[in-house]
Amino acid sequence: MSRVNLTIDGETYQVEPGQTILKAAQKNGVEIPTLCYHGELSENTSCFVCVVKDAETGQWHPSCTSEIHDDMEIEAFTPEVKDMRKTALDLLLSEHSGDCEAPCTIACPAHANVEEYVRAGREGDFEKALEILKERIPFPMSIGRVCPRFCEKDCRRNVKDNEEAVAINDFKRLAADMHYDEYIEPREDLTGEKVAIVGSGPAGLGAAYFLRLSGIGSDVFEKREEPGGMLRYGIPNYRLPKDKLDEELNHFYETDGVEIHCNQELGSDIELSQLKEDYDAVIIAVGCWEPSSMRTEGEELAWGGIDYLEKLAKQDFEMEDPGETIVVGGGNTAMDCVRSTLRLTDEDVHCYYRRTEEQMPAEQIEIDEAREEGCNFEFLSQPKSLREEDGRLILECIKMELGEPDASGRRRPIPIEDSEFEVEADTVIAAIGQNTIPPDGVPTNDWDDVAVAEDSHLVEDNVFAAGDCVTGPATVVEAVAAARKAAENVVSFLNDEEFSESYQVNVTRGHWQSLSEDDLVYLEEPEDQRRVELPHRAPQERVEDFEEVSDTISPEGMKKEGERCFECSCTAKNDCGLRDHSEAYQADPEYFEGNEKLDFGYNNDHPEIIMDRGKCVKCGICIKMCREAVNEYLLGFMNRGYETYIDAAFSDTLPVDCDECGECIEACPVGALDWKHKELE
Amino acid sequence: MIERIKVGMASCGIAAGASEVKEKISDVAPEENLVEVGCIGHCYAEPLVEIETEDGNYIYEEVEPEEEFIEKMLNLEEFSRFEAPSVRTEWEEDYVTELAGKIEPNSLPEYREHGGYDALEKALKMDPSGVVEEVKTSGLRGRGGGGFPTGMKWDFLSSKEEEEKVLICNADEGDPGAFMDRTLMESLPHQVLEGMLIGAHATGASELFIYCRAEYPLAVRRLNMAIDRIEAEGLNVLNGREINITVKEGAGAFVCGEETAMIHSLEGKRGNPRYRPPYPTDEGFKGRPTLINNVETFSNIPLILREGGESFASVGTENSTGTKLFALAGDLEYTGLVEVPMGISIHDVVYGIGGAEEGSVKAVQIGGPSGGCIPEEHFDTPVDYDSLNDLGAIMGSGGLIVISKGRCMVETARYFLDFTTEESCGKCTFCRVGTKRMLEKLERITGGEGTEKDVEDLEDLSHKIINGSLCGLGQTAPNPVLTTLDYFRDEYLNHVEEDYCPALECGALVEIYLDDETCIECGNCIDSCPVDAISDDFEIDDEACTRCNSCIEVCPVDAISRVKKGGKVDVQS
Repeated sequence: MSRVNLTIDGETYQVEPGQTILKAAQKNGVEIPTLCYHGELSENTSCFVCVVKDAETGQWHPSCTSEIHDDMEIEAFTPEVKDMRKTALDLLLSEHSGDCEAPCTIACPAHANVEEYVRAGREGDFEKALEILKERIPFPMSIGRVCPRFCEKDCRRNVKDNEEAVAINDFKRLAADMHYDEYIEPREDLTGEKVAIVGSGPAGLGAAYFLRLSGIGSDVFEKREEPGGMLRYGIPNYRLPKDKLDEELNHFYETDGVEIHCNQELGSDIELSQLKEDYDAVIIAVGCWEPSSMRTEGEELAWGGIDYLEKLAKQDFEMEDPGETIVVGGGNTAMDCVRSTLRLTDEDVHCYYRRTEEQMPAEQIEIDEAREEGCNFEFLSQPKSLREEDGRLILECIKMELGEPDASGRRRPIPIEDSEFEVEADTVIAAIGQNTIPPDGVPTNDWDDVAVAEDSHLVEDNVFAAGDCVTGPATVVEAVAAARKAAENVVSFLNDEEFSESYQVNVTRGHWQSLSEDDLVYLEEPEDQRRVELPHRAPQERVEDFEEVSDTISPEGMKKEGERCFECSCTAKNDCGLRDHSEAYQADPEYFEGNEKLDFGYNNDHPEIIMDRGKCVKCGICIKMCREAVNEYLLGFMNRGYETYIDAAFSDTLPVDCDECGECIEACPVGALDWKHKELE
Repeated sequence: MIERIKVGMASCGIAAGASEVKEKISDVAPEENLVEVGCIGHCYAEPLVEIETEDGNYIYEEVEPEEEFIEKMLNLEEFSRFEAPSVRTEWEEDYVTELAGKIEPNSLPEYREHGGYDALEKALKMDPSGVVEEVKTSGLRGRGGGGFPTGMKWDFLSSKEEEEKVLICNADEGDPGAFMDRTLMESLPHQVLEGMLIGAHATGASELFIYCRAEYPLAVRRLNMAIDRIEAEGLNVLNGREINITVKEGAGAFVCGEETAMIHSLEGKRGNPRYRPPYPTDEGFKGRPTLINNVETFSNIPLILREGGESFASVGTENSTGTKLFALAGDLEYTGLVEVPMGISIHDVVYGIGGAEEGSVKAVQIGGPSGGCIPEEHFDTPVDYDSLNDLGAIMGSGGLIVISKGRCMVETARYFLDFTTEESCGKCTFCRVGTKRMLEKLERITGGEGTEKDVEDLEDLSHKIINGSLCGLGQTAPNPVLTTLDYFRDEYLNHVEEDYCPALECGALVEIYLDDETCIECGNCIDSCPVDAISDDFEIDDEACTRCNSCIEVCPVDAISRVKKGGKVDVQS
């Protein structure tokens, strides 16, 4: 049979006649994407992802079914055709009800593989858990103690009445406590390039860690006597014991290519201009160390919150008795000041905050523990002025009430006229926030933070910045996440490449607060189980010293806790045609907002197989596989249009009478039909 | 003397109460010759009774099943007499529907008396190719909506060498509000079958199916009765060749009106369409060459054979010969079935035959859910296949809706998309998900929450759905949206930019306003409100109000009107 001409996007190929466009293209190395096409079955012609355009007639064809003719000219990857494909994928995503990644993994600012390390813990393999953690988290011992647990706030376990989130962070803490010392993360050989990092807090050391993974060495310059930044000088010992911190930092001392130089201040001991010249790149990670001003008369009589904590840390958590203390503020720093002063004095300690408890930015557990330890909270009270009288400090305050919401959505506090009152104390600490002290010569933005290009963390020339000094005060895990991004950008910069964050598609069923128990899909029906308890010292006991207030939970406890995990992420997340094509075409699950998704229920009665119909793309492969390849008639379409779904004959439980050959499962292009068991990779 | 009493009992008549009328007549005058006939042709005046006497025929309209009424009627008294409005007689052509309402649908002798089966006899004496030529000469185009030249289609099939060819009559008639085919099947089942038998001779087909939607039980019954008679008389043996005729009922899916989906349904499979080629004339029902024509198309065939193709072509226009049945609906006086010659202007259909009020009409919608809107400024356009296509609309199967100024074009588009979304078979991504997403956007727009992006997306999606669908359902579902966007884009923009529905139809953008100064406090409105939304001091509870217009209709002084929500800018009653 003589060959015919097929031109695809201007390139002509000689092909056998009587083939479909898709097949002919494939044989010539042109891969047109498809979802519903399966080589061993007759065509389904339903997904239209393989659509191409006839250049002569202007007609659109599904290339999996349309046959070629001689001298056919088609457009397969022009912008117009790619746009058509993207819309097909946008539409499929808008119909798709599922979770690619678990909400915990998405919530983690550092994008650690949360569900996976919890799974490792559930199987008792805490070494594996640490391995997974250290891909994204260089400080699991510290973060395992101080993290505000973004993951747990989104954990779907919360959906069950009277149940709390899985204690995810405690897996981190345990894995670190058990294995951090011996584990060495896989690193590439040193290339010889070196980066200067200013600041040895979580952002600075985090950057050093990630750079080293790619083979880039660094010199970390720290202005204080010891490294750690906020970890050492901001967070008190009872939350993060410094001996644990030293244990964690030891890893850095032992990492080749990374050197920490203390007592080196930018602007006096070292100059930015010199660093720019001597090193291949510079990362500024100096944090936020200037206490915010109360903007009242007499504020110089008060301590700045972060200054107080720094002094306390430098003095090894011994300090003169502050006497009766008032701490002004509502964040974690304020709570740190409150709880530290409670440990230093027998006198009363008060906390004054201008809004309500619900609006306090501090973590609820810090507020609760502070209250247990004896703090008196005064809400809706704002300081107006401070003066000294007879050796005591007099703080004038005014009562507030809540008005209209402000830009952040919180209701704004408004002073109540003529409601001023005065209170006395020996010490007043203003812990209302911190600001960056930008190094000389570094460009800043409207908030006086270091100005960087949003995605690249680039300041200018070969200078980058990351952490609190860029964002304003945030959490350790967020600093570490920023450090990784900055490091990746530096690596690209050094290789003269454009860094682009790979486009990720994550379909989600939504936040647990908008879901009910019936909305979730379970691989196994979970039992009701209480969350494991964190061992805690009693308040009266712990307020006597600065020793750690909580203990690490045992491996048995954590293994059992791991069983509470619903394993929300899709079993097919790494093997999904819809996700792969959508990422390649930058399709957007949110393009069609307000779209209705139908779930049709899922079927997990079978011990090995789950049928999650919300994920079905109606390709028809499973039905044909059973019919044409296996010669059974076990599956079929029900209803029509948007309400179409796949069912087993007579709505029976899945393959009760089938051989469980698994052909349909292997062939399913998405996670609608899959094996239940998730392997630890 | 009364010779015969005919009661118009096609589904339209039955819906108006003709069954009760017939029963009453039978009670009152059991001795009379009382028969059921099909559609007498003036649906707006049903129930209709025609009394045949030696001196002539008398038609009574809006007949009531009351003893007094019936007795007066049987006395041939002059009351409630039906006179066809002059505009109707001026414009209408009783051509295909000539015998409808005149003869008993299932009386083979009566059909024969009026020339029935003469055409078949004539055709059987001709060579099959001669019959095809006659149909080509007639210029007949498919009446189901496609407008494909019938003669050419028959030629494709007749040229196929295979022995076992199939002819299918598409009687699925899924367009909401369309009942042309229903009327023909219920009134003239033999005429339809005669056309099919002629087709079987011309194309060499030996297996005939009528795929009739199950929602037409009367049509199915009358067709089956007719087939029984045909087989009893041997009329289905064409020059020695026995033809099988079967009526197959549909199962409630609009998509099965599409060729390949219909064939799958006939084969006992799920009614999904498939890619073409191969075309049904090459590989159709069970792999055999298959041809599908519409009921109205087949109904025209006996006329063509009887009087000749040339004579047939003298009616209508050069490229669209013959007549077309339309089902008129909407804001006009004379709704229901009409038969008009091709080439009549839309203006004459709407204002002439339909009796709509001059100046009250904004647009017409032709072709049902696959069709498009044509605005008033184009009403001089002739009704023929090509002129309508040029405007971006289609002839369709014959549904024609008259849209007055008080109706919202966006809501019209939403109404049709609601239908097509539900009827999509679900196979193609663009149709299944795309129409649903379009419907959501239209619901948002009519609900007062649409954005400009919604309007842009509607246009973009429309084109993509048309290009990315396997069958006519998806390929035409966006038409109502595209034509309304084309001619009435302002209405869409008013909705999204100003929260304003110019027609004051969309409930979310409208409120009911009671003018205190005009109000005479009669209380009619309070009594009429089905949800008690009007208080005793004539305050209207906006949240309870469903905007049903009951109060507006009963107010004797027009004190109540629909106004734009939040402002009494426009007044519309």
